[in-house]
Amino acid sequence: MYKYVHQHTKVYMITKILLDENEIPKQWYNIQADLITPLDPPMHPQTQKPVVPADLEPIFPKELIRQEMCQDRYINIPSEVRDIYALWRPSPLFRAHRLEKVLKTPAKIYYKYEGGSPPGSHKPNTAIPQAYYNMKEGIERIATETGAGQWGSSLAFATQLFDMECKVYMVRGSYDQKPYRKMMMQTWGATCVPSPSPDTNSGRAILAKDPNTAGSLGIAISEAVEDAATHSNTNYSLGSVLNHVCVHQTIIGQEAQKQLDMVDEKADIVIASAGGGSNCAGICFPFIKDKLDGKNPDLEVLAVEPAACPTLTRGLYAYDFGDVAGLTPLLKMFTLGHDFIPPSIHAGGLRYHGMAPLVSRLHADRLIDSTSVHQNEVFEAAVMFARAEGIIPAPEAAHAIRIAIDKALECKKTGESKTILFNNSGHGHFDLSSYEAYFAGSLIDYEYPADLIAESLKKLPVIA
Amino acid sequence: MIKVGFIVNPYAGMGGAVGLKGTDGCVREAYARGAVPMAPAKAIRFLSSLSKNDIHFLTAGREMGEHELAKVGIPYDVIYRPDEGKKSDPIQTGAIDTINACMEMIQNDTGLIIFCGGDGTARDIFSCTGQLIPILGIPAGVKIYSGVFATTPESGAHLLSDWNGTSLSDGEVMDVDEEEYRKGILNTSLFGYAKIPSGPVRCQSSKQVSFGDESREVEQIATFITEVMRDDTLYLLGAGTTTKAIADRLHLSKTILGIDAVYQGRVIGTDISEREILTLVEKFDRIKIIVSPIGAQGFILGRGNQQISCSVIRKTGVDSLIVVATEAKLRNTKTLFIDTGDPSLNNKFGDTIQVICGYRMVIRAELSH
Repeated sequence: MYKYVHQHTKVYMITKILLDENEIPKQWYNIQADLITPLDPPMHPQTQKPVVPADLEPIFPKELIRQEMCQDRYINIPSEVRDIYALWRPSPLFRAHRLEKVLKTPAKIYYKYEGGSPPGSHKPNTAIPQAYYNMKEGIERIATETGAGQWGSSLAFATQLFDMECKVYMVRGSYDQKPYRKMMMQTWGATCVPSPSPDTNSGRAILAKDPNTAGSLGIAISEAVEDAATHSNTNYSLGSVLNHVCVHQTIIGQEAQKQLDMVDEKADIVIASAGGGSNCAGICFPFIKDKLDGKNPDLEVLAVEPAACPTLTRGLYAYDFGDVAGLTPLLKMFTLGHDFIPPSIHAGGLRYHGMAPLVSRLHADRLIDSTSVHQNEVFEAAVMFARAEGIIPAPEAAHAIRIAIDKALECKKTGESKTILFNNSGHGHFDLSSYEAYFAGSLIDYEYPADLIAESLKKLPVIA
Repeated sequence: MIKVGFIVNPYAGMGGAVGLKGTDGCVREAYARGAVPMAPAKAIRFLSSLSKNDIHFLTAGREMGEHELAKVGIPYDVIYRPDEGKKSDPIQTGAIDTINACMEMIQNDTGLIIFCGGDGTARDIFSCTGQLIPILGIPAGVKIYSGVFATTPESGAHLLSDWNGTSLSDGEVMDVDEEEYRKGILNTSLFGYAKIPSGPVRCQSSKQVSFGDESREVEQIATFITEVMRDDTLYLLGAGTTTKAIADRLHLSKTILGIDAVYQGRVIGTDISEREILTLVEKFDRIKIIVSPIGAQGFILGRGNQQISCSVIRKTGVDSLIVVATEAKLRNTKTLFIDTGDPSLNNKFGDTIQVICGYRMVIRAELSH
């Protein structure tokens, strides 16, 4: 049954579980220290030898490179970063009583809500420290890519806090679909261009081959990396995939652990949508530590992907480039092939061919399970959630909601009262045209033809 | 200013309301049974919904387009007049008038011919235009199996209003045997592929409109399919321009209306019959059948490709089917159909089917059977 708080004679049903500002975690959790199998090293794209810090220095600050390779279990959060986090953190943990009621499930559904940050998603959790470390090392300008615009607007927000310039290469499909994300970036002083753009060699090469391309995160990454490598005052910043990004996002899961403790709950299932993997890392990694430590051995951790881009579910675990042009180091990860341009689904933030090496490693070690869902199922869940809980979720977040609902419905069948936790990673206020398409019945359910590809054994995606 | 030919088959669709399952050769019978012309009203619905002004209409006299354009108040030039028949005769025009009007329009450099009718009218028009001039049908007939029709008169008007004048795709013209059809036997064959105006692609989530390049999608499909083709598998390539693109990529010639067999990068049978397919099926362990939905209703099997019969599918299995189609085509045919002729075999297909629509890209489409 529900958790109640007794105050005098009145009984309150707890909906929001809140932490005080001084309870913002003081350290990020680094799961590299606890991996069963160590990560395979990133390889240099030309020499194919393990990357050394000096290889990354042209585009990353030293502290982030240190964090990328760090084996320490905890990394201190600078007080300046915590001060900015306090603008929206700690984020609330909600008990979805009303959704439970709609579903008539005995399951207890909790969700962490990251949509209250100024840019409206979990992305500033890493944008702030990334901008901070770059500023500390004298960098004046950051180049980055963005898919749905959540990362771009988060970095725009973060860089202006430290008086830095920001250039955002936004995947063209999203650039056209989400004009208000551009306005946010402009409001925060950043320059946003559609990718592929004529501003870089890699962008021009793609445009020459396919002028009508909707672009992809892989292409946009190539452009931003090239921008950083060719401007001396500029560094590159990535909103997902890399180890240090996953580390910064663990603040979500650490808060959620404290909040569940406050209501004497232990998660049975933790669910996160997965594109590049940082959101998944953020909510899941601290809970996986509990599983590894034997505190919660039966915990089920689920990454939810779009059926159109099922990297963990249908991809290969192999070395591949992080971008289309092959400029990034080779990362050992689940991948659909760096030349794969996913279809233009509405969860633009999940259109990425690869997966964070840390999430990939944990998936390979069976600590994270994965599943994939179609667009229409996702929006059906999003609408159900919005009608029950009020919050209109981003399509990316709604992937997790879909599976949380499915798990709660399974509990209804079995009569189990499992505790389900998912991360509602952002609001969908800039995605209402996607909802419009859903209501109009014009959403297409794309899939990845993995069986057909697998059937042709000699023609698997070419992985370097 | 684009020159558009406009032809109405005034008797199209009359047979349907009085149980004649078609009007070819039965107009008198339809009148006798109390049918009234329906096509003129549909033509007027189409014309009334047009929002494009820069069209110069060329049409045929009287009820073949002139009356409808006049009624809506759209300017036009009559370039063909059918002979005046006896006033007592209810039939004033026929297929020969459609053909004559169409030929005049071609002589007058028409950029597009719009006709209001059914499959029979489509066949008459296509027999004149071939692939030289695009055509667009406003559905008014009893049978609409061809893929050259707009779904409604209004959608036809919107398509023409939004058309950029150059984007084209392929639409099947189907030949339906009306005599057989009246006996309850649906015998369809592919008559040919016409060029049809390709509508603007409305991005799923935005108001932004852009014209999709269908040929690029077809190329992507062909690239992907040729990448996954195996040397130990016999491929039966169904009819159509999408499957032809696969053959083109393999540098093979392909009959556009028939089924061809490809093995290890070589054509081993062209325009093969059901019997020939069954003979091949006995010889090979692994078989894949690559087909594209046919006609307005999106038939994967059972219309225009009856060579791929239930006997063939029973041998190859339902999993042997690889369906290919561009997104543009699927937009017009959201539900696909399978009719192998054997309901129990039809039921072995699921409620959805994967359709390859690009490079390593699939759409899950609803399937009806």
